[in-house]
Amino acid sequence: MSADGNTQFRRTLVRVMAVQIIALAILGLIQWRFSL
Amino acid sequence: MHPLNWVIVIGWLGYVVVYGIWKSKGMKDLNGYVLANRSLPWWAVGLSVMATQLSAVTMIGTTGQGASDGLRFVQFYFGLPLAMVILGVTLVPFLHGSRVYTAYEYLERRFDAKTRSLTAFLFLLSRGMSCGVIVAAPAVVFSAIFGWPLAWCVAMIGVPAVLYTIIGGVQAVTWVDVKQMYLIVGALLAVVIALMFQIPASPRTVMQIAGQAGRLRAFDFSFTLTNQYTFWSGLIGGTFLMLSYFGTDQSQVQRYLAAKSVEEARTSLLISAYWKIPLQALVLMIGVLVFVFYQFHPQPLLFNPAQERAVQAAAPNVYGPMKARFDASTNRFEREAIRGTALQLAGDVTGKPASDVNYIIPRFVLEHLPIGLAGLFIAAVIAAAMNAISGELNSLSTTSVIDFYRRWIKPEASDAHFLVVSRLATAFWGIFACVVATYAANLGSLIEVVNRFGSFFYGSILGVFLLAMIPRAGALGAFVGLIAGMSVVASVNFGLPTFWVAWHDYAPKIAYLWQNVIGAVTVVVVGMLISQFRPRGAVPTLPAASDSRATALHP
Repeated sequence: MSADGNTQFRRTLVRVMAVQIIALAILGLIQWRFSL
Repeated sequence: MHPLNWVIVIGWLGYVVVYGIWKSKGMKDLNGYVLANRSLPWWAVGLSVMATQLSAVTMIGTTGQGASDGLRFVQFYFGLPLAMVILGVTLVPFLHGSRVYTAYEYLERRFDAKTRSLTAFLFLLSRGMSCGVIVAAPAVVFSAIFGWPLAWCVAMIGVPAVLYTIIGGVQAVTWVDVKQMYLIVGALLAVVIALMFQIPASPRTVMQIAGQAGRLRAFDFSFTLTNQYTFWSGLIGGTFLMLSYFGTDQSQVQRYLAAKSVEEARTSLLISAYWKIPLQALVLMIGVLVFVFYQFHPQPLLFNPAQERAVQAAAPNVYGPMKARFDASTNRFEREAIRGTALQLAGDVTGKPASDVNYIIPRFVLEHLPIGLAGLFIAAVIAAAMNAISGELNSLSTTSVIDFYRRWIKPEASDAHFLVVSRLATAFWGIFACVVATYAANLGSLIEVVNRFGSFFYGSILGVFLLAMIPRAGALGAFVGLIAGMSVVASVNFGLPTFWVAWHDYAPKIAYLWQNVIGAVTVVVVGMLISQFRPRGAVPTLPAASDSRATALHP
């Protein structure tokens, strides 16, 4: 695998994890605001 | 359904068949049919991977689950992003780099022929049956709603998908998947917008109603092995399940083997990692909104029209007053209790499982969505079923031909011969799926058995692939470990022998997500223990191309 490929993969990885954290935070906020 | 809705459905079915066949023009050898000559871009592979796992069950069952149970099910997918990242740095480079047609072919290079054949056989067994279930689930719902014979509904879903898969192979499957994903996501968003206009309350009030009914609880942090969906079962058990599904199931592996390079293959997996949780939350949210919608509009007591007709005919004196009480009640708990009693009555009358979760959304769509949008949603449900079945058929055909026919029956035949046999195998599995779908509907428990059956293997097969990455692990250890893993999961699933009383009482209650962990861990532990007894110096190298034909076909 090329170094460029690895760098691109790592960048994508960071973005993936950021999207997941935002999605879970929104779900958590909805639960906290309306269900508790 | 309004004729315009039917025009949309039939128009879409015709379009995807023609489009699929057109996209596969110029494809003339086995490599093109099975791997699209490794020419597919990452985004098409990624959307196709997502499309294969988004079946009609997601469109009607998961949305229905959102209406009846809320957002809880989203926890099932919490392990997915993690699994995709792990696969991107472990199995994907191994499999793509070893230039194989199937994941199981790799196991022969690493271990031996019997491990390859057993895992391939388990895949054919579980996927062949589940293919029928994938078609059966929406066909049963359409049959009840439109009043058509079940065989017609099976044909409406099965025939177009089988047709473009036979002719176009993985190229047709992938490019049709891409188009159908656009349709599915578009239809889901359109339904959300329509619901927002049809609920006579502000977004804040909608959320408050859903929240008070417990429909917005997405997280359950309790740590228990028996609760099906918790944060921990989703994160830990879900990671193992997704590792197994995306890393070892040929229906997924074949898609990223068709990517241009290792980088593109693993980037394609990250599309699922990006979008699966938000998409699943959207699907469940539609169900939640439908639940709120029915707080402002008259709700059917039974959503399954066939069940409703049967109960009205068999027990009119019981059903009539029950319906009147349900309509008059404004207390949510009382209404839910009456619905529970009605479902029980329907179960007694029809002799089938008393659940109508799968009918909530189709009934809402047909009775309350504007003309055109209802057709769009029904087309999207059929599209989702076709995406799932076409991917499965393509991989079943590939495994049958590569792992059995070419490996054991005719290893020296020509490429043209294998192409013809692959198309025949696709046709065979397509007919098999439609026949299973037609009969599965009348054997309600069969669907559950098939689903549980699949969960026996997933964790164990993952265990074999994990062993493949441990240099010290040997062929005998992998084979015995696989048998041991499946046996332990089967014991947990169906209960241990009665003399093991303490376990017998507890084991059957273990949630199935944890069974993937149990299977994988058992295979690795047993496999490594047995491999310790191997003579020194017998460690194989990775990957050793034992199949000269495979190497020749992928220069």
